[in-house]
Amino acid sequence: MQLEIKNLTFAYNKKEANIVDNFNLEVKKGEVVALVGASGSGKSTVLRLTAGLEIPDSGKISIAGQTVAGDHKFRAAEKREVGMVFQDYALFPHLSVEKNIGFGIDHLSKSKRKARVKELLKLVNLEGFEKRYPHQLSGGQQQRIALARTLAPGPKLLLLDEPFSNLDAELKDKIRGELNQIIKEIGVTTILVSHDREDAEFMQAREIIMN
Amino acid sequence: MQLLKKLKKASPGWFLLTVGIIILLLIPNLNIIINLFGEAGENWEHVRNYLLVNYFQNSLILVLATGLLAAFLGAGLAWVIAAYNFPGRDFLSWGLILPLAIPPYIGAYVYQGMFSYTGPLQTFLRNKFQLRLSQQYFDFMNIRGAIFIYTIFLFPYVFLMTRAFLSKQSASLLESSRLLGKSDNTIFFKIILPLSRGAVVAGSSLVMMEVLNDYGVVKYFGISTFTTAIFKSWFGMGDLPTSVRLAVMAMLVIFVVLFIEKLLRGGRKYSYSTSNIRPVSRRKLEGSRKVLAQLFTYGVFFFGFLLPTVQLLYWSFLSRGGGLMETLHFAFTSFLTGGGAAVLILTGAVIIATTARMSSNFVSNLLARITILGYSIPGAVIAVGVLLFMLQLDGVLSFLQTGFGIEANVVLSSTLVMLIFAYAVRFMGIAFNSVNSGYEKIGESYFEASRTLGKGVTETFFKIDLPMLKPALMSGFLLVFIEIMKELPLTMILRPFNFDTLATKAFEYASDEMIYRAADLSLVLIFFSAAAIYLITHHRRRKNNAVRN
Repeated sequence: MQLEIKNLTFAYNKKEANIVDNFNLEVKKGEVVALVGASGSGKSTVLRLTAGLEIPDSGKISIAGQTVAGDHKFRAAEKREVGMVFQDYALFPHLSVEKNIGFGIDHLSKSKRKARVKELLKLVNLEGFEKRYPHQLSGGQQQRIALARTLAPGPKLLLLDEPFSNLDAELKDKIRGELNQIIKEIGVTTILVSHDREDAEFMQAREIIMN
Repeated sequence: MQLLKKLKKASPGWFLLTVGIIILLLIPNLNIIINLFGEAGENWEHVRNYLLVNYFQNSLILVLATGLLAAFLGAGLAWVIAAYNFPGRDFLSWGLILPLAIPPYIGAYVYQGMFSYTGPLQTFLRNKFQLRLSQQYFDFMNIRGAIFIYTIFLFPYVFLMTRAFLSKQSASLLESSRLLGKSDNTIFFKIILPLSRGAVVAGSSLVMMEVLNDYGVVKYFGISTFTTAIFKSWFGMGDLPTSVRLAVMAMLVIFVVLFIEKLLRGGRKYSYSTSNIRPVSRRKLEGSRKVLAQLFTYGVFFFGFLLPTVQLLYWSFLSRGGGLMETLHFAFTSFLTGGGAAVLILTGAVIIATTARMSSNFVSNLLARITILGYSIPGAVIAVGVLLFMLQLDGVLSFLQTGFGIEANVVLSSTLVMLIFAYAVRFMGIAFNSVNSGYEKIGESYFEASRTLGKGVTETFFKIDLPMLKPALMSGFLLVFIEIMKELPLTMILRPFNFDTLATKAFEYASDEMIYRAADLSLVLIFFSAAAIYLITHHRRRKNNAVRN
């Protein structure tokens, strides 16, 4: 199993009800899974817990056979090798496209890093965009750069938080197709979150309804 | 797991640093409260029996009257600037902040000088019209005069907060009131004032704290308040226990002010449910209404900035650069002290704000409360607390030094270290607020993105947070810097022997009726403050424009 979640429970605030309550999930290597549900169903919270951005109240999360949360252990987000594309993309505004993509791979030598950035830009079809800054990109382009940045370190898991919510209808079809193609091409295990069941079908993902 | 959740993502290093700073900030204030239970000083009985009522009365009258007047003046100006267009409006929208550049104690001696028997006004009336009016018409040195001085130089706090609030209100509110046939006056009193109550009260409570903090105006005018009493018992009588007791009383007044603020702000929070907020489209004024608006706004600008500045320039001209070298010397000292202290304070504030951001709501609220506390406590009170703390530290140091046979004789009290530490206790809140609002603007997702890309808290801080915080750091630095440049009570009590800043020297000259010498120093001070205000407001404006394009 690439991801194993057992009896996961979490509340943002002790006074509120659990937003994630005894949640279980198993994802095989290379699989694409879609968590579908209305807002407030806790689907994004499951992503945040998986990434290590929130600390669970109880339950266990294992990635590639290693426990990252639970059993009195908690592995910090930066040590999980989990990639996440944020809803608002979160491209660092003070860094160029090249530096954004290279951010997670600065342990590589300069020439290797450069080659990897080039490779990723080719993957997302934005060759030659190295020197641009995020504010010079369209919404769709920003998303593809964010994807490239997330894929650069070669994560064990790819998490996509509402990847199509900021796009208009016309662009959405195009992006869904492209995204699907990229994910299949590199075979990365993917979990995406959406409020729209159509997204799951389009991405040929295993659907999990949350409520 | 639960404890981990409470601290959330804070790494232990950051957390420990923060706890250290917070304890240092708290000690001086706690010290005062603990010392209250010590033995009373020899003068305490006299103070309590004969003077205390007077201190209370004067402090309360000054605080409440100024708070109320500044609230109306500031809110009214904010409304005119936010809702109307008239010639000069763009300039006044930041020009009306400029009175803040003039510390009230400088404003006080300028006005007193202008209205005195030998001042320009009476001289003019005597020479041109042979008018010799009773001096009581020109008497500025009383409570009424002090209230005028505080109001005209401190109202911008209310103006700033209310204007910021109004600019965030949706235009549709104003427009629908207009469409419902309400006159602008009705809208102001029935809609705008109740809605912006929170902002007006917040601004006005800042004004009240500044009034309680002030030493210069009341000292110069000879009005007894808690601040002057603390000075008198410490400098005049060398009676520290009595100043401690007075400091506690002053803190009580502060808690009353804070309580009133909470009460007036109430649990109600008005905010917009829609995200569709257009700025208010300003109505163009014509005819008599235009003249009225201009008279009001330019009038306040005239008395709050232009008139005192021109008077100072005239005095400075009369002194013919006599004290140029001296002025440069004090400007240099002030610059170095203010700049150095501001950098240190900002560093502390960044550490606290970064930890607060990574902690749970409870912890981060607590950190914010403690950090901001110092700004609501009068400088003279903090000075007493810091002094007590440093004397204790000196005791420990001398014990250690004799214990280890070192003859270094290191002392902290009456050194620059003590003064800068006191600045930190008082102004950390201002820096913290700037950094914190910077973090709020940035949001969390950049931080989280960096974490998921394999960077730890500290690396993320240096590579992502710090560069993105730059504008907030800039305005935080400027705010703290001008506060320190203008600061009087802390500096007067805690400065090392023979150490003077522009502020203390200007005040000293003014008190000795050497107004020409004071003028040069005051002008330098006002120039730096005004420049800082210009930089802060125009930086924001540029950014707003960039967003709009």
